[in-house]
Amino acid sequence: MSIVESDQDQIRQIEAGQTRTRFARGWHCLGLADKYKDGKPHTVKAFGQKLVIFSGSDGAVNVLDAYCRHLGGDLSQGTVKGNEIACPFHDWRWGGDGRCKSVPYARRVPMRARTATWQTLVQDGLLFVWNDPEGNPPPEGVVIPRIEGAEDDGWTDWVWTELVVKTSTREIMDNIVDMAHFFYIHNNFPTYFKNVFEGHTATQYFDGIAREDVTPANPDPKAPKMQKTSSVASYHGPSFMIDDLAYTYETFTMKTVLINAHYPIDEDSFVLMSGIIVEKKPELPGDPDMIASNQAKWILNGFNQDVQIWQNKARVDNPLLCEEDGAVYQIRRWYEQFFVDAAEVTPEMTDRFEHELDTTKPVESWRKQVAENVAARKAAEGQLI
Amino acid sequence: MQSPTDVRLIDNPMQPLACSGCAASVLVRKSNWQQTSIQWNETAQKACLERPRSCSGENQTKQFPGCETLAETIRSASLEGTIEVIYRDVPEK
Repeated sequence: MSIVESDQDQIRQIEAGQTRTRFARGWHCLGLADKYKDGKPHTVKAFGQKLVIFSGSDGAVNVLDAYCRHLGGDLSQGTVKGNEIACPFHDWRWGGDGRCKSVPYARRVPMRARTATWQTLVQDGLLFVWNDPEGNPPPEGVVIPRIEGAEDDGWTDWVWTELVVKTSTREIMDNIVDMAHFFYIHNNFPTYFKNVFEGHTATQYFDGIAREDVTPANPDPKAPKMQKTSSVASYHGPSFMIDDLAYTYETFTMKTVLINAHYPIDEDSFVLMSGIIVEKKPELPGDPDMIASNQAKWILNGFNQDVQIWQNKARVDNPLLCEEDGAVYQIRRWYEQFFVDAAEVTPEMTDRFEHELDTTKPVESWRKQVAENVAARKAAEGQLI
Repeated sequence: MQSPTDVRLIDNPMQPLACSGCAASVLVRKSNWQQTSIQWNETAQKACLERPRSCSGENQTKQFPGCETLAETIRSASLEGTIEVIYRDVPEK
């Protein structure tokens, strides 16, 4: 394709394309596992369907289609009896394997009494379900790695948040490559930024520094000063990101693990979740559980900053990018592998791709912006006195 | 339907480059001295000698951040002019 001079001044049109009509193949986290182990059925809307999640006397967590195959009663309004979920309509009993185990008022269970189930995994205190529109089990090697510090006495418990977002999941995937939005939307200051996509993982390497213009104007001089953050965050499949996030202070490093995960409710909405654990260390500037809880508030605030943008923005299939932008087209190509049949996955979607951004120009521009903001804040304070 | 194209790649496409340390051949795009993108394929991934060293033993579950030998090859090729550096006049740090 050649670019003709006269084309240069033409108006660039946004291509919006179509939203997807299928849901990603892969492991999806549905939140803290304990929530589902209380002996009661739980209603979860996911993958365009209503699901029932329950745990019986054997302790296994089961995920079934919520609608009873008999006359459509909502199993998630039913009762857990033994290892089965009983429909509130006619007490039909369904097992975790999706089979109808008994119909108390019938001589025998009808033929083909089988409903849809989702394979589950409880790991590191979290519940995962495997979704595959083709109905296949997870292939070997498609796993969620173990999380360092999860359910470990040396670390805090999970602080978990959930938020319903009304947009396409593609918007959240774009964030992993979008360095500049971390400055403009989230008050971060990136100094190093690199992405690597390979197979079913997509990684972001991100170093940052604290921003003087967003920290308190007159901080406690005795409080330890945070010098830099160092983050390695990987999506393992289409929806579950583990972020090893370290905060370096003058005399110690605070280790945290941040989870950024989501599951689709339907084509236009998803549940966005965050989880955080903090390594307990005597040097920490306060109670570790309190730090984790404050971090969780900060992350949730960050999600809300994204949501504000998402709910007002246009969908753009053909973003116009400058050299200082990240690998938006390539992350979308990587993400596409989860929305086609396994046999249709092409090497372009999974072959390793690396993109290291030069932060020189952004850092120069942002230092100036921060200095201006600090000066403006001082001037405003001066006026108040 | 053809997928939308990154305009950055229309003006400056990725260029092929063979690693000096092994048989890997990749596609490279160098925006300036500090900014590089690298497209691997399966053959290149298998040919890389550094990768098994970096990801074996205790590091088995660690992701491979990148090949140093390839980074050095890209640097030399950029200095020689075999690989185009789009903003060549911006000095290296």
